[in-house]
Amino acid sequence: MIVKNMRRNIYIFIVIISILSTGFVRSLNLKSPEIINILMPAPFAESTENLVETFNKENQGKVKIKITKGPRETESVSDLAISSLLLGNSPFDILLIDVTWLPKYAAANWLTPLDELIKREDWDSLATGAKLGNTYKEKIYRWPFTADMGLLYWRKDLMKTPPKTPAELIAISKKLKENHSVKYGYVWQGRQYEGLSCVFLEVINGFGGNWLSESNDVQLTSKEALNAAKWLRELITSGASPASVTNFSENEALQIFQAGDAAFMRNWPYAWAELQKEESSIKGKVGVTTMVSEKNVQPTSTLGSWGFSILKQSKHKELAYEVINYLTSKDAQKELYLQYGYTPTMQQIYKDNDKELINSANILNELSNALSIAKPRPETPLYAQISDVLQRQLSSILTTDKPIHEALEIANDKTKIILKSAGNI
Amino acid sequence: MKKNYLLITALLMWSLAPFLWQVYTSFSTPEALINPLLKVGNRWTLENYIQVINSEPPFWRYLINSTIVGINATLITLILAIPSAYAINKVKNKIAQSLKVLLLLASLFPYVLLFLSLLEIARKFNLGNSLITLSIPYAALSLPLAILLLSSAFKDLPKDLEEAAIIEGIGMFQRIRWILIPLIAPATASTGIIVFLFTWNEYPIALTWISNIDLITLPVAIARIAGSSVYSIPYGAFAAATVLGAIPLMLIVLLFQKQIISGLTQGAIKG
Amino acid sequence: MIYALLILPALVLIFIVFGFPIIRYFWLSIHASSVLTGLTATPNYGANWIRLLNDDRFWLDTIQTIRFTMCSVLIEIVLAIVFALILNQNFRGRGLVRSLSILPWALPTTIMALGWRWIFNTPYGPIERIVSIFSTNSINILSNPNIAWIATVFADIWKTTPFITLIILAGLQTIPTDLYEAFKLESGDKLKSFFNITLPLLQPYLIISIIFRLAQAFGVFDLIQVLTLGGPAGSTESIGLYAYLNAMRFLDFGYSATIIFFSFILLSLFCILAWLLINKIRDKYQRNML
Repeated sequence: MIVKNMRRNIYIFIVIISILSTGFVRSLNLKSPEIINILMPAPFAESTENLVETFNKENQGKVKIKITKGPRETESVSDLAISSLLLGNSPFDILLIDVTWLPKYAAANWLTPLDELIKREDWDSLATGAKLGNTYKEKIYRWPFTADMGLLYWRKDLMKTPPKTPAELIAISKKLKENHSVKYGYVWQGRQYEGLSCVFLEVINGFGGNWLSESNDVQLTSKEALNAAKWLRELITSGASPASVTNFSENEALQIFQAGDAAFMRNWPYAWAELQKEESSIKGKVGVTTMVSEKNVQPTSTLGSWGFSILKQSKHKELAYEVINYLTSKDAQKELYLQYGYTPTMQQIYKDNDKELINSANILNELSNALSIAKPRPETPLYAQISDVLQRQLSSILTTDKPIHEALEIANDKTKIILKSAGNI
Repeated sequence: MKKNYLLITALLMWSLAPFLWQVYTSFSTPEALINPLLKVGNRWTLENYIQVINSEPPFWRYLINSTIVGINATLITLILAIPSAYAINKVKNKIAQSLKVLLLLASLFPYVLLFLSLLEIARKFNLGNSLITLSIPYAALSLPLAILLLSSAFKDLPKDLEEAAIIEGIGMFQRIRWILIPLIAPATASTGIIVFLFTWNEYPIALTWISNIDLITLPVAIARIAGSSVYSIPYGAFAAATVLGAIPLMLIVLLFQKQIISGLTQGAIKG
Repeated sequence: MIYALLILPALVLIFIVFGFPIIRYFWLSIHASSVLTGLTATPNYGANWIRLLNDDRFWLDTIQTIRFTMCSVLIEIVLAIVFALILNQNFRGRGLVRSLSILPWALPTTIMALGWRWIFNTPYGPIERIVSIFSTNSINILSNPNIAWIATVFADIWKTTPFITLIILAGLQTIPTDLYEAFKLESGDKLKSFFNITLPLLQPYLIISIIFRLAQAFGVFDLIQVLTLGGPAGSTESIGLYAYLNAMRFLDFGYSATIIFFSFILLSLFCILAWLLINKIRDKYQRNML
């Protein structure tokens, strides 16, 4: 009997221990100064480390910024945020989110509208392009942290001025290849992944078309869309771009361009810093401009940007907004631009003619230009799915003989079906 | 006979080599991983383990979380499975047979596909982010197999034993508690260990039910490390994490080898 | 009556976890329940199903899942029979060898998936290193769509073979040794005795392991998620992973449920087909024996 009882006691003991230890783990989260918890992808968490440290020193005992360093891969960060939001009880006050996530998060009713917190003059201080991609259904849900725009890199040593139209781009590439100035003409992102959608957005708008209209109508069967897709295929068939471009992401394109083997490259601002490094064989020979477009059509630059959103369930919304203000202040932006090349979002920084900024290998003007014509990808909560559909069809246009209009029709129909099945009337 | 030992060695190599490679990696410096022919001086290191143990939250937290869930789920499973397994042998044969077929189907079922529904339940009843509630779906998922294993154990018990107890006038619960449970203890042990192994290793449900980093279980923690970077991965530290995570299971397997094998094989024979 | 009461709690729990989802999935599959509807279900009259039929990605995933399942189960069964035959012999240290050989099965999938990612690493993993001795080109195991899926099959085989080995081992132990003795007297061929005695008597064990593994491999998820995340270019994405992404990443529960419900149907067909096929082979085999 005693033995039996003892055994039973052990069982009870185990149960109690497990209950207690879960309770204990929970109670650890209660501490005094107000903590603002921010989830960021690892690279941003690392680059803001100094700023956060300074803030926490200045506000000791009152406010503390706690950065949760998310995964490095951006989609995994989103997975982490979503799983905590789906279950409720998310530990975060602020999320640093990508421009393509915003409609999804806002539609899911996870974010606080910032309209009441943002001062009019603050909003007006943003560069035009930086204002985009922060709203959903006419409410502001995000304050931009850094902008990212698609740029056309060109070789100053091979030409006097960069091409302006799609036809010129092909012509110059072919000419330079024929007289053996470079191995390849134009390198870009042609692999079946998100980068291809970014490329296509610039091209379709450059031809005067649109992927999705403002009212979420799919417009992939328009004449402009057809011309855009035709041009992308022509890049490969004409030899202006190598066939292997259909397997390129940003890094592959940069590798080739950096080795001096290509005349043009489509890439993001980060590539500029890479090209300025000592080991880069074309340092000082590179120019930056915006993507080509048809005559009389304004060129377009795909907007990729990160910004801060406050979660609906956060208990310190005003404090959280102050923290955001601090992390996106003029000084913070300058420091991040100088150290990490993050594109500033504040208009004044481009106008200031700040010596410190200009002296550092300067592309501020070009960035400012690109930002003024930047365009976000379709702002729908279903963006990831419709982008996948488009990528598949574009990839088949680039790698097979599939009739272009057929592929675009398929993409068009499928996009409609997706919007419908998810409840878009 | 020599050929035989060759085969056995080959089998062991197959089973252990990938793991030994992890052990090797976990003790290597990053330089040694890139250049394996490095001189002895900076070849080996404990740095990877120190890094894992000092990470935030500390690594042992995940081990504890997994253990808590594992013990809870195993207890719940056994508490529910033992009476059912006893009763299933007592009901009419036809019903028992069809119940057993259903249980077999359930235990064959790829439970991953249940994650969405379980997530909905967690959302609806606010069961997420708790190690105790996580044990409930685990217990439910393990129940079919547990009942099948235990019912065959009950079936194997000599009938006259219980009949004698009935004549003595001992009530049913007393009989189960004091006569039958002690007799099926070996089967209970092996069932319990198999359930524990399952819950310890379970991933999709833990992934969707727990988002609080202090409460995640070992498999989720490891997977989160994997997702942390696509560019440069500190493989040495990851290997150290996998080795540390594997040690408890190795101990279980080595200690309870007999029970695990007998549990599984019994299931196979009777099922 | 009292017996029913004893079974009931367990059955209720089992129903909530296994039965209810199937009904729920079907119901969700005819509704839109996505981020657009605030995750509440509104009828969408079969739009999910039309989408499923038109979804290349889903069909490619289905083909990939079937390819993965067939390859791993077939190889696993053959390997497991070999392993079981080895482990069924008498030798010193058999217990230790047995427990070491079930280790791959006992380790969490995610732990070893992470390990495999390092083993398949280009250029520092052991496999690429060995290849680099013979050739200057690396295979790029995990970034080549034609090879990455083979890596996932390999990792799966390593992980699950021990489990089948144990079941087959149990089967081997039920075969009375005098059967072999008798056979030896008649013809004496070891290989023949394997095909004439061992294999036929192992049948029930083989069938249960094949069906079990078919179902489990069809639902492959952890391994793929950690090892490749479905890449490169979606070439290793399984149905389970796609359903997961639709729910957790795209926040489209309605469509995710449609995928899962459809894969239930597919899986059942698959298992029935396998069952029929096994029976047919068995009939033929037995006729040949006579």
